[in-house]
Amino acid sequence: MGAAVHGFAQGTALVPASPEPAQPAAAASAGHGIPQSAQSLGGEGGFVTNSMVVTWVVALGLIVFAQSATRNMKRIPAGAQNFWEWLVESLHDFLEGIIGPELVKKTFWLFATIFIFILATNWFGLIPGVGTIGWGEQGAHGFEVTRPLLRGGNADLNMTSAMSMVFMVFWFIWAIQANGVGGFLGHLFGAKGESTGVLRVLMVIIFFLVGFLEIFSISFRPISLSFRLFGNIYAGENMLDAMSNLVPSLSWLLPVPFYFMELLVGVVQALVFTLLTAVFTMLICMHDEGDGKAHAQH
Amino acid sequence: MNQFIQFASIGSDLAGTAKDTAQRFGWDAPHFIAQVISFLIVAALLYKFAYKPILTVLDERRHQIAEGLANAEKIKAELAKTEAARLEVLNQANTQANKLIEEARVAAAKVREQETQKAIAAAEQIIAKAHEAAAADQARMLTDLKREVGRLVVQTAAAVTGKILTPEDQKRLAEETTRQLAA
Repeated sequence: MGAAVHGFAQGTALVPASPEPAQPAAAASAGHGIPQSAQSLGGEGGFVTNSMVVTWVVALGLIVFAQSATRNMKRIPAGAQNFWEWLVESLHDFLEGIIGPELVKKTFWLFATIFIFILATNWFGLIPGVGTIGWGEQGAHGFEVTRPLLRGGNADLNMTSAMSMVFMVFWFIWAIQANGVGGFLGHLFGAKGESTGVLRVLMVIIFFLVGFLEIFSISFRPISLSFRLFGNIYAGENMLDAMSNLVPSLSWLLPVPFYFMELLVGVVQALVFTLLTAVFTMLICMHDEGDGKAHAQH
Repeated sequence: MNQFIQFASIGSDLAGTAKDTAQRFGWDAPHFIAQVISFLIVAALLYKFAYKPILTVLDERRHQIAEGLANAEKIKAELAKTEAARLEVLNQANTQANKLIEEARVAAAKVREQETQKAIAAAEQIIAKAHEAAAADQARMLTDLKREVGRLVVQTAAAVTGKILTPEDQKRLAEETTRQLAA
């Protein structure tokens, strides 16, 4: 978030004279720092939250940018087309190296969207003004924005869990497509490795029990994915906010190093989310023999 | 069995904790669904406007490059073939030219020899004719001289003897002189 311009926002921001509308309970419970949840812009009962606005702005920006870049494709790319070609090709090659050429064909759209959207949303949240322009009230240290107009898209658990769940749905579809229902269950509960006799029976029992652990682990994947991203971005925003308010006279300087770190965190988190989802997909779609070929090839 | 129940219970507790935590951080189903829809729309539109056209173009470009490289190889091979053919033709032309030059040289030598022989023959003929002419001139001059000497002898004899020689004497004297000169 653009916490560094907190002081700037106090003087010039879109701050209505009306008193602050009622806040969600979660926001009120946050105390100092950034509210724990996205806030409704229409007051209590309003549906559209400040994080949703950022999500839509970023989405619209990406779509318009992509559309304008590819509207008139040229054989020799230049400008925006060149940038998008570089981005898409780099991502495609990167993912192809991880999950293989066949699997990437059907899954690229999701992983690429995950990476691009998370990265754009994370970086958009660092633009000065995000989180610091909005509604508020006069406090002891001047005007305090308590309900910002914009909030980082991934600082909303609804957004991160939405991406996780979309991934899990497609993960399941691709897993069934690659393995079939029997193969999928066999992948979870089937005994791995080659053994005979009593050892084989033992392995079957062990792997059957391990299958439940696997289901347990898989069930928590969307939770870990969504909380990891949300936690990192939300913590980053809080840190920037804290740095901005730590020494008021240095509020323009202290957050600057952390901005660079947040730029890096934005990339890393987008990469982590994308890589984990890609690897989860690869693991379920690969042959047990480890011959490097996905079921999806068949 | 008890372990399974315990296991399920732990899972249920963890899920409950996760749900409570999620709700504390503002998770709710309507907003979650709205964000799912937003994300799917973004994915669909990015697929339509970015991934599909770009991957198609990249694929076409890859094919074009592969085709271009294959064509370049083909052209290179054809060029090498053409170069070999050109060298072959050049070698043949060189051989033929050398042969022609040799033939021309031989012919020229032959012509030169013939012309030399002709010139020698002509020169010899001219020399022979000159010799003949010189011999004829010499003979004529000798005849004239003998005649003149004969006349001088007759004239001198007439002057010395005071007697005019008859034509028979003159003739006899002249013949005698001529005979003696010839001897």
